Amino acid sequence: MSDLEQNKTDLRSVSQTGFLKILNVAGIYGVVVLFILLGIFLQLLGVINNFMTASNMLNIVDAVSMLGIVALGMAFITYSGHFADLSAPTTMALTGIVAVQMLQFGFVAAIVSAFIVGTIIGLINAFAIGKLKVNPIIWTLALNYMTLGVIRVIWANKQIYPDMIASSEKAVELFDNIYRLRFFNKIALPMIMLIILVFLFHFVMSKSKFGIQLKITGAAKKSAEYSGINVERMIGAAFIISALTATLGGLTVTSLSRVGAWYNGAGYDFKAVTAIVIGGMTLAGGRGSIIGVLGGVLVIGLMNNLMTLLGVGTFSQDMIRGIIFIIVVGLNAKSLRNLGRDDA
Amino acid sequence: MKKSFSLLVVLVLALTFAGAVFANGGSESSTDAAGSGNLEASLALAGQVDALTAADGQPLIKVSGTGREVPARPADPEALPEDNPLHWWDMEFAGWNSTKKNIPDSPKDGAIGKKVIMIVHGDHPWTTACINGATKVADVYNMDFKALSPNWDLAVQNQMIDQAINERPDLLLLIPLDAKTAPQQARKINQAGVPLIMFNTLPEAEAMDYCIAWTGPDDFGQFRKLSHLWADKLGKEGGVAYIQHAPGGSPYFARYWGPRSELAEYAPGIKVLDAQAPGFEADKTQQLVSDWLTRFGDEIVGICAADDSAQGLGISEALKKAGREDIVVIAAGNSKQGMDLVKSGDIYAITYQTAEGDGALAVKTAADWFNGEELPPVRYLPQHMITIDDVEDFYPPQW
Amino acid sequence: MMRNKINKKQILSLGDRYRIYVLFVLVFVVMTLFAPHFFNAWNLTSIMKTVAMNGTVAIGFTIILIVGQLDLSIGTIITFAAVIGLGLKDAVGYGVSVPLAIIAGGLIGLINGLLVAKVKINSFIVTLGMLTALQGAIYTITGGNTIAVTDDQAFAISDWLQHQIVPMLTPRVIIAIVLVVSFSIFLRRTRKGRNFFMVGGNSKTAWLAGVDSDKYTIVAFVISGVMAAIGGILFAMESAAATLNLGTNSLMYVLSATIIGGTSMAGGKGGVFRSFIAVLTLTTLYNGIVLLGLGNEVQIFISGIILASVILYEAFVEYRHDKVVGQRPELLKELNTIQ
Repeated sequence: MSDLEQNKTDLRSVSQTGFLKILNVAGIYGVVVLFILLGIFLQLLGVINNFMTASNMLNIVDAVSMLGIVALGMAFITYSGHFADLSAPTTMALTGIVAVQMLQFGFVAAIVSAFIVGTIIGLINAFAIGKLKVNPIIWTLALNYMTLGVIRVIWANKQIYPDMIASSEKAVELFDNIYRLRFFNKIALPMIMLIILVFLFHFVMSKSKFGIQLKITGAAKKSAEYSGINVERMIGAAFIISALTATLGGLTVTSLSRVGAWYNGAGYDFKAVTAIVIGGMTLAGGRGSIIGVLGGVLVIGLMNNLMTLLGVGTFSQDMIRGIIFIIVVGLNAKSLRNLGRDDA
Repeated sequence: MKKSFSLLVVLVLALTFAGAVFANGGSESSTDAAGSGNLEASLALAGQVDALTAADGQPLIKVSGTGREVPARPADPEALPEDNPLHWWDMEFAGWNSTKKNIPDSPKDGAIGKKVIMIVHGDHPWTTACINGATKVADVYNMDFKALSPNWDLAVQNQMIDQAINERPDLLLLIPLDAKTAPQQARKINQAGVPLIMFNTLPEAEAMDYCIAWTGPDDFGQFRKLSHLWADKLGKEGGVAYIQHAPGGSPYFARYWGPRSELAEYAPGIKVLDAQAPGFEADKTQQLVSDWLTRFGDEIVGICAADDSAQGLGISEALKKAGREDIVVIAAGNSKQGMDLVKSGDIYAITYQTAEGDGALAVKTAADWFNGEELPPVRYLPQHMITIDDVEDFYPPQW
Repeated sequence: MMRNKINKKQILSLGDRYRIYVLFVLVFVVMTLFAPHFFNAWNLTSIMKTVAMNGTVAIGFTIILIVGQLDLSIGTIITFAAVIGLGLKDAVGYGVSVPLAIIAGGLIGLINGLLVAKVKINSFIVTLGMLTALQGAIYTITGGNTIAVTDDQAFAISDWLQHQIVPMLTPRVIIAIVLVVSFSIFLRRTRKGRNFFMVGGNSKTAWLAGVDSDKYTIVAFVISGVMAAIGGILFAMESAAATLNLGTNSLMYVLSATIIGGTSMAGGKGGVFRSFIAVLTLTTLYNGIVLLGLGNEVQIFISGIILASVILYEAFVEYRHDKVVGQRPELLKELNTIQ
């Protein structure tokens, strides 16, 4: 933005209320804490019950594990300033249905082929967006359509079931357990995957060379190019990561629904972007963290939980979600701007 | 240069459209089969049709034997409280008191070779099975049969109706996407002189005036029966919660207000704790049920779901996690996942709703009309509650 | 322009700008030749009627893209306007409820625009949040029920909307065409219209020229809201009913059409008339696919392919442009003659 616009920003009142300051330092976790405090408050008032119990907290994390997995991978794309991966839903569906189809050759074959397919989609995206530099939103949207068409043609508008096609009962059980395996009877496998990915991705994004280069690519693309960073490869890698987490998400969703179908994963694109953005990543790129995305995902889970405990109707829940989304993102943008740290 | 080029393009467009106005096309009369000889041959095929089976091994065509006991219509159903079953009379018994307007007469020349177009509501493996069943019957009569799907978009369905009317079929089969827009659709088709049978989803009562007949599952009736089973299992007391269908359509009302209003009379000791519409996603349903368990604890003893596949799975996962498998679950069936859950005891009972049979019955009813039969205004698919005792009879799944 | 110098470059650039017209003629001819029952008045009228709604909405969406923003909420604005327009009919009649619905659309657009321009949140996010919030509001207001108007006046208006004033043109189609032509002229021939392009294409120049980007952005969102509302309420009046997901599919439809029509996501380039022709092309294509007896999966797949081809082509054009940018052919020629 031009200098004069920058001045406009600085001349605005730079004083931030204490609230905005807290929000900016704590990031999305400020909001998490806020919701938890709200929940405790309501519980003390007797309006809701059992909010602050271990099982309720576990439920919340459980409910958002799958979304979290997909969002964490997509975060790399947003971090690089390329918005989102709108082909995630059909990537999830395709890898899921391929896995089920390949169960006839065993569990391992199923998983391997799912990841191969996911990698291929990631590579296609990487090539088109990284090298050919097409608009990521339109391209991933187009790929979404094409993949959907392909799935429906190959499987003739039908869906397939693991236990009707698998080579052995053990294979079915293993596939079923992708979603249902529990450690200590409490902690489900998707949650473990989420936690592992959080640690892994956080390290990669904030501490590794790749992560820092990706950040520069997102924040200032031209500078990155002139600094000798292979921008094409960075962006390509981000899309491949997203496709891989989509594969993981697809396997989990398919395992849960016990069916390979073209409609698995529908809606995950916008849900993931919501989580990413609420968690503090700006669409302009170069800002935010994996921990933030986790926070965004937790906020969504907390919101849903609180609203159901309060007995808010499903319709009203949507409305409130949309409004809170705008408020949180708006506050984030505003606080950044007031600190003079952002003008995107 | 650019200006003249754009003018040229616009001119071409205008000419094309003008030309189309005077073009003569589209009205093709269907091949007329020879008169009564066709009728006899058509009637003779009835036995063949009855012998058809669906993918699950059940007979394809089964009509609910005795029809429905239809109570008298109250003077103003809307004025009654929602908990009163009669409040829903217009929706539940739509068609039983319709005054047919301007229905075309049957040509009475048999169903062989007739041109029939079916417009369903959207793409889903269920509709694939439905069209499958319809095709099986259509093939017996050697019909010129075509199925179109608007993929859940009302504007597209309206356009497809236009296209279908344009092709001048001998009969149109329609699943109305939305109960309230159905009267408009039916009127349009009726005014174009195309015979119409609506099926699967109940339209608003007025639409029935323009249809020859309606066929499909007796959603309200099945759920009333199912609720009795449920209440008995629960000992007619306790707190229950409902997971609803997509709002606005007839299943939404049938699978929520049906059982709810029924139990208001049959088992007043049962309390309704909550009702939500999380959509057809297993993870969303799971979170909803987990939160319900947190909220209601031991107070909740039963859950009624509008869908036994994704919603059913979500419920069973949540119950397993919380160790609350004591909760009695009923749902609308019958998907493979739902039947599996019945087999494993996670769901107590589901309704039987044959997808193939739905499409097949619609086509069979069309054939009956072509044969000159007198049709009842409403024809129901067979009703059955699937429990763990007989769930094996319904494998392999139709879709 | 020198009439005798129609060289390859000019034809290519013309093709670039007018490719949507070429595509349309191609699709139309193919369908006429191969799709049964396609080329007759009834079917073509049906196509036009379907185009009327999305074509109107596309006007606003195109302007949004031109100023370099995105509006994901148009689908729900369509539904919202329809719900308000029909829902209030019994209370105040169409005469009041329809303008109210259109104003409501404009207000939503205003909120969107203010959030984008003044609070400076990315339009993707603002409109995504608005989309969710509005859909929830629609469900809450209606309690989940479709709104249908069944009195005689409603049916009379519905019938009137469906009759053809001129062969193949029903009132909604005529309104759409009038709006398209008006906005097309406005954008291309008036100063204010051309400023939209500048705001989207080159914000620095816009600032230097004294054009208030914020104001134009806000106006763009208001127009988008109003157009979506007009499209929605007219469609609902013709069906005499408003379903709760009336406009849900329109977003993808209009987005695809606008991009295929040549408007760029980067802003500063595009045309309202071209978007309209693109909507016409897509509708004709889908109509033909159905008539040919092919299923929805084919239609979905082809949408993806066309969209991908369009942006790949644009990327290719830009790549070619980047290769020669800054080169001066006459100097190169001089260099070659010397050696």
